[in-house]
Amino acid sequence: MNERIPTVAAVGAAAGGGPAAAVLAPWRRDRRGSLRLYLSFVRLAFLKFLAFRLRYYTGVVSYTIFVAGHAYLYRALFASRPEPLADVRIGGLELAEMITYVAIAWIGRSFTFNNIDRTLSHQIQQGEIAMQLIKPFHVQTVMMFEAAGEAAFRLLLFTLPIMVVVVPVFGIGGPPHSYLIGWTLLSFVLALVINSQLNFLIGCLAFYLKNIDGVIRAKHISLDFLSGVLIPFSFFPAWFQTVVAWLPFQGLTYVPVTIYLGKRLGADLYSAVLVQAAWAVGLFLVGRWLWARAVRAVTLQGG
Amino acid sequence: MTPLITVDRLTKDYRLTQRREGVLGGLVDLVRPRKRVLRAVDAVSFTIAAGEMVGYIGANGAGKSTTIKMLTGILTPTAGEVRVGGLIPYRQRQSYTRHVGVVFGQRTQLWWDLAVVESLRLLQKIYEVPEADYRQRLDFFNELLGLQEFLHQPVRKLSLGQRMRCDLAAALLHAPRLLFLDEPTIGLDVVAKENVRAFLREARDQLNVTVILTTHDLRDIEQLCRRVIIIDHGKVLYDGLLADLRRGPGHRLRLCVDLAEPVPGQQLAALTADLPVNWDGDGTRPEVPTHRHCATFSRAETNAAVILARVLAAHRVRDMALNEPAIEDVVRRIYRDGLILPVKETAVE
Repeated sequence: MNERIPTVAAVGAAAGGGPAAAVLAPWRRDRRGSLRLYLSFVRLAFLKFLAFRLRYYTGVVSYTIFVAGHAYLYRALFASRPEPLADVRIGGLELAEMITYVAIAWIGRSFTFNNIDRTLSHQIQQGEIAMQLIKPFHVQTVMMFEAAGEAAFRLLLFTLPIMVVVVPVFGIGGPPHSYLIGWTLLSFVLALVINSQLNFLIGCLAFYLKNIDGVIRAKHISLDFLSGVLIPFSFFPAWFQTVVAWLPFQGLTYVPVTIYLGKRLGADLYSAVLVQAAWAVGLFLVGRWLWARAVRAVTLQGG
Repeated sequence: MTPLITVDRLTKDYRLTQRREGVLGGLVDLVRPRKRVLRAVDAVSFTIAAGEMVGYIGANGAGKSTTIKMLTGILTPTAGEVRVGGLIPYRQRQSYTRHVGVVFGQRTQLWWDLAVVESLRLLQKIYEVPEADYRQRLDFFNELLGLQEFLHQPVRKLSLGQRMRCDLAAALLHAPRLLFLDEPTIGLDVVAKENVRAFLREARDQLNVTVILTTHDLRDIEQLCRRVIIIDHGKVLYDGLLADLRRGPGHRLRLCVDLAEPVPGQQLAALTADLPVNWDGDGTRPEVPTHRHCATFSRAETNAAVILARVLAAHRVRDMALNEPAIEDVVRRIYRDGLILPVKETAVE
């Protein structure tokens, strides 16, 4: 990326035409080599998480409980209204939509979630990052492909089992138009990228802060709120909705779920996905920038 | 000859936060942290030619590892410059690391959860090693390091000695032009250390790699390196041949003789009364006769031939031995007393 590569000829001339033995040739991986390498990181991450799959069985239970808790809460809330249940709208959603919102939100979260921030900050604090920096690849890129491997694992062995339980139990219906399934999936993939980039940025903070556990905890709490996974934004006042519309976090849950519910159609749909994609790219570039800065400022453990 | 590595007034500062004492001090720290600058590496300069194997030694906290980390591109210097074969390690990291192998004795570069062979396969992809080269080098490593027995075990299940062998193979799999070894024998038992040294000797001869080695075990240096750089408090104290280090003034040799008849030490002392020589009777008092006597002297002031000639003229000698100072003693003296030899401006050879 931002490496300045001198020409071999220039180096040779500077060395006074000295022996070639004292010159290291600039080197760059070709595109096909990069792809092969990065795909093997996808594969290895998948295998690594597969080895820890037992950990995820309890997750299926806890995600189902989350959905159940919210579903019963909303049922009680809708039932408490004086008008007939079929006419009740809260935040523009009827009860069935509300429960679908909750279910799809948590199903999506089970796929987009990862702990890159924790992994990266641990590596930085333990000084293990040095062993990555001595290898000719970009740490951010490697982490993104590992995140893809983890996501593939999650999709197959975590998200699908949750769907198998949640969809029939709560009678979750499909989107109003079947083509929206594809858009929802695309939107959740972009949500995964956004989440991974955000986590990467937070992990990078470990270069500057001694302990970022608190930051990570604060992130979890505020993201559950700002992504819309806990409560749909339509419950909140207009000014709040305006604020979150300018933040990347709505792309984590609110955008894909409202796409699924058919609340965004036509131009609305395209622009929502486009904004998500823009955030994904933008955050990736911020990550590149922060990484380059942080590595230069780095003080590794054990001088 | 153009040097492969040029290090020019390389400097690295660390900024440390110092804690004040007590509760009140702790509260003051919150508002006004007290910062202190620690100069870990202080204007270090040297050059290393392609094919050299150089020992880089110093006490704990002397700045060895910091230098190595700047040479490997992990750390960015505060001031000064590193150039290796026309590249700047911390700027052109990806290009540079392609040509570099690193072993940090305290860490592993292998993937903890993967079998060793999976890690090596991944490294093959990372460094784009052709299949034929991969096979050939793996055979070479197998022969010297005996990797077969644990090639299919995950790294986390290996003993330290096994792990180190794997790390050495990993560092050399892509036939790097440079190899940085930061305490490669730390924590290993005597046999494992010997294996590592034997491997490094072989690798140096067969793979034509330039090596910089830091260690606390000076036998590593003695067996592997002709040239040493000694660093202390971030500054170069000595840069030259290991052999010259021993020959420097202030280093004392010890000549021991085994006499046919027991003789009191006083008699021998009288023989060399005009020379700066210290006789001791191997633990006995000077007036008590004994067979074995040792003379300690400085090569700058006298020599073994003169002393021996005088002893031979007066007594029958059954056996004799001349002992060079142990390299540990020499280095300990350098740490303690500082510079004893001028630092050479140019590289050796």
